[in-house]
Amino acid sequence: MDKQFQRSYRVGIDVGGTFTDVVATGADGRILVRKVASTPGDLSHGSAQGVAELLAANGIRAEEVDVVVHATTTATNAVLEAKGARTALITTAGFRDILEFRRVRVPELYNLAYVKPAPLVPRQLRFEVSERLGPLGQVWRPLDENSVRTAAARIAASGAEAVAICLLHSYANPAHEKRVRAIVEEVLGDKVFVTCSHEILPEMREYERTSTTVINAYLGPVMKAYLKRLEERLIELGTGRALHVMTSGGGQMSLKAAMNKPAYLVESGPAAGVIAAARIAKRLDLPNIITLDMGGTTAKTAIIEDAEPAKTSEFEVGAGINLSSKLVRGAGYAIKLPFIDVSEIGAGGGSMIWFDKGGALKVGPESAGSEPGPVCYGKGGRVATLTDAFLTLGYVNSKYLVGGALGLHGEIARQAIREQVADPVGIDLHDGAYGAVTVAVANMVRAVKSVSTYRGRDPRGYTLIAFGGNGPLVGAMIAHELSMARVLVPPHSGVLSACGLLMADHEQELVRSYPALTRECDPLELQSAYADLSRNAVTTLTAEGFAPEDIEVRRFADLRYAGQAYELTVSVPGTGIPVMAEIDSAFHDEHHKTYSHMSRTEPVGLVSIRIVASVRTPQPSEESGSAPDTIDAEAQPVTREVYFGKARGLHVVPVVRRADLRAAERAGPLLIEEYDSTCLVPPGASARTDCWNNIVITLEPRA
Amino acid sequence: MSRRFDPITLDVIQNALGSIADELALVIMRSAYSNIVRDAMDYSTAVCDREGRTIAQGLTTPVHLGSFPDAMRALVSQFSSRMADGDIFIFNDPYGAGGMHLPDFYIVKPVFDGGNVEGYIATLAHQCDVGGLAPGGMAVFATEIYQEGLRIPILKLHDAGVPNEVIFQIIAKNSRQPVEVLGDVRAQVAACGNGEKGLRQLIERYGVEDFRLYTGELHDYAERLIRAEISALPDGTYEFEDFLDGLGENPTPIRFKCALTVAGDQIIVDWEGTSPQVKAAINGPMPTTHAMAYLAVRCAIGVAIPNCEGYMRAITVKAPKGSIVNPNEPAACGARGVICFRMYEAMLGAFSQILPDRIPAASEGGSSAPHIAGRTRDNRPFLISGGLMGCWGGSAARDGQEGISNPAANLGNAPIELVESRLPVEITCYAFVENSGGPGRHRGGAALMRGYRLLEEEAELVMRSDRRAVLPYGLFGGLPGTPSWNFINPGPGQTVLPVCPFASVPMKRDDIFLHIQAGAGGYGDPLEREPGKVLLDVVNELITASYAADVYGVVIANGGVDEAATFARRQWLVKQGPLSTYLDHFAQSTGTQGLARRGPGLG
Repeated sequence: MDKQFQRSYRVGIDVGGTFTDVVATGADGRILVRKVASTPGDLSHGSAQGVAELLAANGIRAEEVDVVVHATTTATNAVLEAKGARTALITTAGFRDILEFRRVRVPELYNLAYVKPAPLVPRQLRFEVSERLGPLGQVWRPLDENSVRTAAARIAASGAEAVAICLLHSYANPAHEKRVRAIVEEVLGDKVFVTCSHEILPEMREYERTSTTVINAYLGPVMKAYLKRLEERLIELGTGRALHVMTSGGGQMSLKAAMNKPAYLVESGPAAGVIAAARIAKRLDLPNIITLDMGGTTAKTAIIEDAEPAKTSEFEVGAGINLSSKLVRGAGYAIKLPFIDVSEIGAGGGSMIWFDKGGALKVGPESAGSEPGPVCYGKGGRVATLTDAFLTLGYVNSKYLVGGALGLHGEIARQAIREQVADPVGIDLHDGAYGAVTVAVANMVRAVKSVSTYRGRDPRGYTLIAFGGNGPLVGAMIAHELSMARVLVPPHSGVLSACGLLMADHEQELVRSYPALTRECDPLELQSAYADLSRNAVTTLTAEGFAPEDIEVRRFADLRYAGQAYELTVSVPGTGIPVMAEIDSAFHDEHHKTYSHMSRTEPVGLVSIRIVASVRTPQPSEESGSAPDTIDAEAQPVTREVYFGKARGLHVVPVVRRADLRAAERAGPLLIEEYDSTCLVPPGASARTDCWNNIVITLEPRA
Repeated sequence: MSRRFDPITLDVIQNALGSIADELALVIMRSAYSNIVRDAMDYSTAVCDREGRTIAQGLTTPVHLGSFPDAMRALVSQFSSRMADGDIFIFNDPYGAGGMHLPDFYIVKPVFDGGNVEGYIATLAHQCDVGGLAPGGMAVFATEIYQEGLRIPILKLHDAGVPNEVIFQIIAKNSRQPVEVLGDVRAQVAACGNGEKGLRQLIERYGVEDFRLYTGELHDYAERLIRAEISALPDGTYEFEDFLDGLGENPTPIRFKCALTVAGDQIIVDWEGTSPQVKAAINGPMPTTHAMAYLAVRCAIGVAIPNCEGYMRAITVKAPKGSIVNPNEPAACGARGVICFRMYEAMLGAFSQILPDRIPAASEGGSSAPHIAGRTRDNRPFLISGGLMGCWGGSAARDGQEGISNPAANLGNAPIELVESRLPVEITCYAFVENSGGPGRHRGGAALMRGYRLLEEEAELVMRSDRRAVLPYGLFGGLPGTPSWNFINPGPGQTVLPVCPFASVPMKRDDIFLHIQAGAGGYGDPLEREPGKVLLDVVNELITASYAADVYGVVIANGGVDEAATFARRQWLVKQGPLSTYLDHFAQSTGTQGLARRGPGLG
């Protein structure tokens, strides 16, 4: 596209709490990286700054940039910090408090001090209108338009900037919601941002739909303003042909779509990392992948099968970090949209080490953050952290981190570990540090299990892709605990999430409620329902400038045994008339795989149909050896003493560069130091690089 | 900590066990059929050691969590010499099998290693119907357990890997909802299989010797934690009593008298003085009484304790034989949930004397449990059920919250759209009730109301609720909560139902059953409530402006607090002494003026 303008570069911007990572790739497939400090006041400023620096440093003209893809924490932060718009909610009469009831369960037992999250719309801004639909969309009571006008007038007087409209059973019949929207717009004009539930989530379950609609409205004005600012800054730079935004489901959205459906932008950063891993898996033809993305505060893990990341629609924003997040709901705000299923726990470099009252050693979820940070930063941190343990064990360079940009203080780190971890239980300094790492690894193993064994998947058949600043340090240990045979550490592993932005496809996912037993379902009608959805998606994407022939549509069905409440999603291949028996069979197999039981005789119920329309993005194709080694050779010692626990003891470990693994496989122990992360290959394992410059660690089979 | 154990391995093993228990819970939730299990999450899971002692539990329902020990003790004592690899046990009998009431099915799988039982995977799920007098197994008016449905002693559901089809058939034939019950049983069985795999891997990883050592240490560890906390409490005996309204048209209050003794690092809960067992299905067999004591202590101490049985060693429970909290066979117990809540609140009331800053006033009194059942025109059974909750009492730190589960039964609510798409009912409302809850410096949570319109020709309603005569208690000057009401066709010509009807109530097409739950108790003097908070409640339409003036002495004018008028009004109210006008406001808001809250027998 647009070759006559030589717009050959694509740029990714991943805005995190501390750093903004900017990456770019051009016709040669090389990936260029720039890390700049985030600018909390106005994150668009740091983003533009990073792009400008990257272009300047690599001699790229702004006009050469084709697309900028953006992942942001702005949406998440707006919810966490309660900085969304003043939002009103319109509900069916009698159901004003649905949003506040939630699912009533609390996520913590035995805690009388528990406080549930305050509703994003306070009761005074929740208004009822008189109407009622039945579950098939039948009108039980017609819409009383006067009640809508009364509500709209009160909303106008309330100063609300956004309005969410969610009426019971509107997924089955949107007529009332549409009429309410029309009246609200008539009364309030275009000053307010309006979201109807049938537009964002036409699915059953009133609390989840209401909550999703409210979040979208709550974020609308904020995200619109933010994205506009970013677009303007990029236009100033001259790179503004197209700005796309990453979604939580791992696809890209146009700026316009993102402004209307900002609820899709929550948690877009973690999704990008998983997408990058999925592309690597596809390139290497690896069917089964588990990802581990460990940074400063948390570790995140996800599962990828046949290059498709597992998704979930049960997400809560602001739920904090919880091992059992799938069971323990209610701590945050529900968004029932497609999310890459990422399990997150509080184990990062900054995680604090402590003992509970019963004497058990704990790591996290409390984090020292980047200010004051771990003890070894020398910025006033007093509590021993995981990074201090890494340093004590010799895992990381005692003098420098981030290619020498960050000086570390080894002695005070060791002292903290000795006083706070080793001495209290009367063990050796190294054993104390190793213990902390072991506990953190156990926490991460539990997170990996929650995306694998909890879904009936045995991690032994999977390859671990480790990334993030700390992932490559612990990847081999986690793989060992789970008897996984192989760990892969991709190039640019410290900024892999940003790289994922260069790889994500442009996607539009549409879903429609379609309640029917499969055995009573008319395949022709089903096909035409799929065709309607596809047409909608293709129309939207072509309006955004994509050629119809570049758009690929995949079909899915959400199914359950009649009587169950939770669905499993299976693929409905092709575009022709669906074969109901094949759909049933795929469902039985998936049910068996996930829950280890099934019943071929029981009727299967179709709940919703969904399509994903995507436009493939050309993939960066960095070749072996093209990645620059940014480590200053002089600052790098040749060997380091590293402790591997009581059984394996202290080893003198060679410190090498990724390029050194090109020639031949090398036996562990090894440390591979890079600009943005360090990779640890323990004794008994071995490492090499493959033709894509990934480090491949092979573990010894466990006894 | 003993030298033999390192704190790192201990944490790692604890984590792995927790992971297994969570996985079990997830498998059941996702693949279960009944809405009691999948939406309300009325089920629990546990991993036990070779002696059947709990070493980890999935985070689900507190009432269940303390009940595994009695159930596992019964299983181990009866079967330990007769177990084979591949066995799966099933039971529900409260008398002899350690159960609590018949709907709760325990399904347990021993886990073998090297020919020995090295642990157990235990699951417990509330089945939606196991036969008996009324659909749902919660007929309050059952007088003996024989009327309450299928009683299962400890049986092998799978015998050395072979399913016993006879048991499945008997279960199916004895339920009004066989598809749901068998589906849920299958989910429990599947979860046992998953858990067994995980536990075996864990035992292999550490070896039998170490696994036994460390699980033993886990119990000691939990015990150390809780004893340290109990030691910090002042020694002494603290008494409290609370009441259940009673049953039917002429209810006699049922007393729950609790003496809680803190002695060094242990706690003794004694129910001496509690009412005798009743000829109704609200007796709580001993496993229930144990479970509630563990729960109350854990809530009161306010520190996370791992779910290992060891902590229970610090807690002793005494209950007179033949009392409602330790009934003799064959006392009925299907609806015993209601007394769980009362036991819990009596114990917390006692704790409030030593922990005034931590313990809140009484909640809504526990879940209300309506069951509307019948048959469709084509003779298919339907059952509209699902416990309703709730609100919390005010506390030293904050107002009581509304729209939240009772801490003693952390159940969820089923989506209304899902309910209406499957069952012949229209939910007519689900909202907070105006002017409800007990006033206080920190007010009690507002009550909820929910209405059900029947869309089939006829059905029978069985209702279990409480707290109309004896209101949820307030603390430290806070006032009691507001009463609970049940109506058929509220409005002119309405029928007022007893708080706990002692018979099923017939419903016809288009009849509306409306339940108003009790509102929670307040904490501290209402006249000390910050006027700004009163104003906010008015703005949020939780209370009316006249309620604000009459109850809190807060005068609102032009959208703000009139401070001078408020000062004067409050001085006047102080002179009036304790007030009950809030109950009049509540009655006006709910159309319950002039209705007697007590039966004729109570005056």
